[in-house]
Amino acid sequence: MPEYITKSFSPRFSFPQDPTAAHYMFHDDPYLMPKNSATARLFSLSKESGRNAAKYIIKEFPHFFDKILAEPNIPSLMPEICTPQIEGVSEEALRERINLRMVKASVDLFDQLLQAGTSISLETTNSLLDLLCFYGDGESTQEKESEEKEDLEESEVNASEQETPKRPPQRGSHPFASRWRENNNAERIFKIMPERNAHSYCTMIRGMVKHGASAKAYDMYTELLNDRHKADVHTFNALITAVPFLKDRFLERWELIKMFLNHMAQQEVQPNVQTFNAVLKTLRRCGGVGRSMAVPVIKEMEALEIEPSLATYDHLLSIFYRSADLASSGIISEVLDDVEKRSFTPQDPDDAKFFISAMQVCCDLKDIKLAYRLNKAVEKGDNWKFLDMDRLNSYWSRFFSLLCMMEQIDVVLKWYKEMSPSLFYPSPKNILDFLQALDAANHLEMIPSVWEDMKQLGFSKRRDLLEEVLSLMSRDQHPEEIQLAFAKCAEDIKTVHEQSGRDQASVEWTGSALGSVTVLFSRAGRTQDAWSMMERFQQINRIPTDLVMDEFLNCAKQTNSPDEAIKLVKLAASLGLPSSQKLKSRVEKEFKLSENQKKALESIQSDSDSSDSDSDSDRD
Amino acid sequence: MAAAMAVRALRALPHIRIPALPASCSLHTTPPRLKTRAARVRVGKGDKAVTYEKAHPPHYIAHRKGWLSLHTGNLDGERCAAQRAVEDSFVRRFLHGTFPGCLADEAVLKRRSNSLLVCLLLLRRLPPSKLCFLLGYAETLLSHLYKCPVRIEAQTVPDAAVYKYL
Repeated sequence: MPEYITKSFSPRFSFPQDPTAAHYMFHDDPYLMPKNSATARLFSLSKESGRNAAKYIIKEFPHFFDKILAEPNIPSLMPEICTPQIEGVSEEALRERINLRMVKASVDLFDQLLQAGTSISLETTNSLLDLLCFYGDGESTQEKESEEKEDLEESEVNASEQETPKRPPQRGSHPFASRWRENNNAERIFKIMPERNAHSYCTMIRGMVKHGASAKAYDMYTELLNDRHKADVHTFNALITAVPFLKDRFLERWELIKMFLNHMAQQEVQPNVQTFNAVLKTLRRCGGVGRSMAVPVIKEMEALEIEPSLATYDHLLSIFYRSADLASSGIISEVLDDVEKRSFTPQDPDDAKFFISAMQVCCDLKDIKLAYRLNKAVEKGDNWKFLDMDRLNSYWSRFFSLLCMMEQIDVVLKWYKEMSPSLFYPSPKNILDFLQALDAANHLEMIPSVWEDMKQLGFSKRRDLLEEVLSLMSRDQHPEEIQLAFAKCAEDIKTVHEQSGRDQASVEWTGSALGSVTVLFSRAGRTQDAWSMMERFQQINRIPTDLVMDEFLNCAKQTNSPDEAIKLVKLAASLGLPSSQKLKSRVEKEFKLSENQKKALESIQSDSDSSDSDSDSDRD
Repeated sequence: MAAAMAVRALRALPHIRIPALPASCSLHTTPPRLKTRAARVRVGKGDKAVTYEKAHPPHYIAHRKGWLSLHTGNLDGERCAAQRAVEDSFVRRFLHGTFPGCLADEAVLKRRSNSLLVCLLLLRRLPPSKLCFLLGYAETLLSHLYKCPVRIEAQTVPDAAVYKYL
């Protein structure tokens, strides 16, 4: 075990060295530094959106920014030329607009050219088709925003369904999930093309798959075959990804994939890494068939000497570790063997998900050694680049949960001090796991410092965490100074419950929380505070448990306050609790009472007798 | 005619009182007191809170104050000091407008080789996400405007530090 620790904490460790500093992208100021993962995400996104706002201004008013001040000129700081320079109706103008990604303008110009009777070369028409299929007949997002404002856009339906890259994708399948309309511009232009080559068909197929018209894509593919053209590798990749939408049953899907692969071989198209990634991605949705076919696919990949990318491994892991029956394969260690050796470059958009899913698998398998190996793999070469700030947070959050479950407490504490808050911000689940680890290792005296961390992270109003903290503190008796520290912590929690901020609702007391706080106050000898807690029980319509009342009596005895004891008995009697008799006899026996107090005690007895009939015993 | 001209010429000189001649209408003037008013906050009733920067007039620069704008344009043989001054004043106005009511004190502008460092002192008037937005926006816009890397180093304070009340 120790060598993993020393290796991970070696100076080679490329993660931030300063354990108290936040990520370098944030301003180094206590007000502007994020405290938990939600604020970290918010601040980084607001900074990025500020940059985008500036870029928008620069794009809208380029004449303010085009003076050349630097020698030599810095092209990245100059505004881009976004308006077309060539006027008039000609093919060069059309080409320029296609380069500038102006979808609507290019379509209009194309129509004008056709009406004027000029013939347009096949290449230009193909590039126009490329543009249309990429954007799915809506506009690119920049255009969409300005055109929405100008209210000119006729394909508003499509534009409104397209989402800016920052908002989370609402549709499951594609990030740009605008729907392919019937007879939209791309189809129309395709139909009126006098001659088409393979490129035209391929573009149409890829566009249709991207925007969800899988059946049409398949039909287009059969047309391509009928016209005796050859598709290229990207088209085949797109078709393979569309297979789950074409067929429902697992075997049929696999048969269709095999058919496409055979066609590829016939047309002598070389597969690339994305082909195999697409195959594996489809196999993920093929259940048992996927599991049996995945390994042969990998072997085929090796035979063709194609290096797998991280997305390949990601798909493999999710094929084999999807269901609850996890122990069936040891594929994760083989995957880690491969990943550890290499430094990866991004080849597939799904690459970035690998490390998170691998860490999730380690957590599910409860294997800490695998997790350490995975950490080493992340450190190697350029692999750290696959984890951006968001993913870094969830990766280390899962790792920490695994640590709390599996490791000794001193290792956990060391990691905790090193990692938070610089590397990741603990989530509420992490704090719960950490508390359980402390409990298992009998280190409950650390709870007040964990409470301080919780306050800093902004979790001080979360009821589940508060309950956990209070119940752990009040469960057992502890030595003196720990008890005092616990009581201070309980007082803090009490103020949290009671403060009613301007727009925050105060946290409601629950019976167990109130009981725990009372117990903690009693054990620390703070009788007055404990009594004020007892009075609250009636406010929230709850009944204190026997333990709570016993503890209170102990406390009263220690601090020699028989008045409080009598008040307790009165309270118990008024609530009609069956234990009030026991309490009364205890008070009589253990306390030195004056005459008045003895009389008061006697009078309580008579009260309880009469109210016995309507005792309502709803204990929480 | 000549007398009126002589009277006007004499009146142009300070410290000379001449009686008005009946043929011309004149103003009663007191001798003008030429006071410097540059960068000074005049003493008032005692309710004006003033920062250390504002409280010291400019002859205290290099004695009790530092400079607000640091560049090498004023060294021997260096050119373009005037351009730097214009850029500085633009940047200050830009910051004044971008961070409405949030600037606790004047910004300090430092030029290091190619880059421009803007050291801001901000009040905590806006929520931190909005401040981050404005900081990102200002950095990018200024970089594109001046074609050099601009970095803003911001520090937030709860209140502007008051040096004295004038």
